[in-house]
Amino acid sequence: MTIDVEHVAGEPPPETVDFPVTVGWTQAAMAVTAVLSLNTPVHIRMVIEGHEPLLIDFRHHAFSWSTPLEDFPVDAVHTRLETVPTSADDPPYFELPGQDLDGLLWEMGLNSFGGGPAVWLSPGERYSLTRWPNLTQHSHNLRQVQMIAVLGNAYASTAELAAFAGVEVSEAQRLINALSLMRILARSAAAPAATMAPQTAAAKRDSLFARLRKRLGR
Amino acid sequence: MGAGKTTAIQSLSEIEVVRTEANNSERHIVDKATTTVALDYGEILVGAQEKVRLYGIPGQRRFNFMWTILKKRAKGMVLLVNSDSPDPIGEMIFFLEEFRVLYDRGGVVIGVTRADVMPGPTLAEIYDALERTNPGLVIPVFTVDPRVRNQMQNLLLTLVVNIEMRAAFGVPTVARSV
Amino acid sequence: MSTGLHLKPDVVEAASTLLAEMNAATSSLTYAALLTDDGFDVARFPVKTDGERFAGMASSMQALGDAVTHELNIGDSEYIIIASGKGHVVQLRVPGQELVLSALFDNDATVGHALAVTRSFAQKMADLLA
Repeated sequence: MTIDVEHVAGEPPPETVDFPVTVGWTQAAMAVTAVLSLNTPVHIRMVIEGHEPLLIDFRHHAFSWSTPLEDFPVDAVHTRLETVPTSADDPPYFELPGQDLDGLLWEMGLNSFGGGPAVWLSPGERYSLTRWPNLTQHSHNLRQVQMIAVLGNAYASTAELAAFAGVEVSEAQRLINALSLMRILARSAAAPAATMAPQTAAAKRDSLFARLRKRLGR
Repeated sequence: MGAGKTTAIQSLSEIEVVRTEANNSERHIVDKATTTVALDYGEILVGAQEKVRLYGIPGQRRFNFMWTILKKRAKGMVLLVNSDSPDPIGEMIFFLEEFRVLYDRGGVVIGVTRADVMPGPTLAEIYDALERTNPGLVIPVFTVDPRVRNQMQNLLLTLVVNIEMRAAFGVPTVARSV
Repeated sequence: MSTGLHLKPDVVEAASTLLAEMNAATSSLTYAALLTDDGFDVARFPVKTDGERFAGMASSMQALGDAVTHELNIGDSEYIIIASGKGHVVQLRVPGQELVLSALFDNDATVGHALAVTRSFAQKMADLLA
């Protein structure tokens, strides 16, 4: 199945996206990114098998869903995705405050594109962080914390990030996708490669971070 | 004052925290019974001979001589901001400025406490204020409950990894316009 | 409970008067302050000095003194003395109150005399507030 990226990103979405039933969050991520980057005045409503509908109100940076994010269904079966036109004066899509949209974007970003690059990213880019996510609100692991810390201090491509942090490229890519979906990642085709001070395996093991982690049982 | 520093150190420390509390004369301003007047001291043992020392120092201006002492010694700073206070953003900006040398030398993370208790500034407002006053600074800001050990550990681990990555990538001090 | 003693005009006045008496009684007194446990300046002599910073420091010292004696399991700290070439600071709690009396004497006074004077006036303050 081909994904017509330009169609999605170049025009305001029609009222109901012609949406084949899909498993997973890739299509949803693309629709969400289109709305976010074009600032289209729409809400989104997703119908997911076995769950109540998921509603997004972008003006209030909020979503409403009865399924808690701790139980985020990675292989959700999306049967429908609708965009609902709205305007600045319209009342909220659901009772506020709802939940912070960043929480959903994090999970969605980590769990779309199957470990490959999100379609809105370009090859040959390097990335750096513009803002830290509020990790208290997102399930995360310490490898992700390390990767985010790298991006907070250097520009890196996905492959470079994986090497700096000692993780699989797909794991680094998932994080890049999530941070990019959350719009807290700067992208540059021109930033030069960063150099990380060389660390022996022993030095890595003995870093305060490594020892503190171990001590705290993390 | 009242951001939860003493509580935070208690959550983190492996030893019983050395505390220096006195009864609070200002209960009409901040409703808590006691306040730290010198410092809280806690430790985490990370090796046979090595410890992470945790110092909790009062935020009130009359104790700013303590800030001077700690600025010389500390490797990094966890800044706790009480979302429920009259001017959390103003306070945050003030302390970031006051302790800028710690950011330059190592790192800073910010924990926003009591964010669930009262509607205070949103994290977005906090980030906006940070970006306005300190463009280019990328500082972790997490909401935290200082009583929750896991959350405080995350904050501390984030501080430590950030300090190490900064050193590893040789990040120079961000140039500041006056 | 002695909440906000530094905010009570009658306490502030009594404290100021007491410190003036202390100065009159002791030629070697250079500076004296009454401060709350949590570091607020109640009164000082000479009156026109800015007592805020010293009050904060003295309260920290008092608390650290207690922390040390508790750490060593020797009970509460009774008094603290800081000796220097040009004078000594004697500091102790006003009995029964959340107040500390801290005084600087020049080296004309012996430490023993300075301590006796400070104790005596701390007790006088306690009697005034009782």
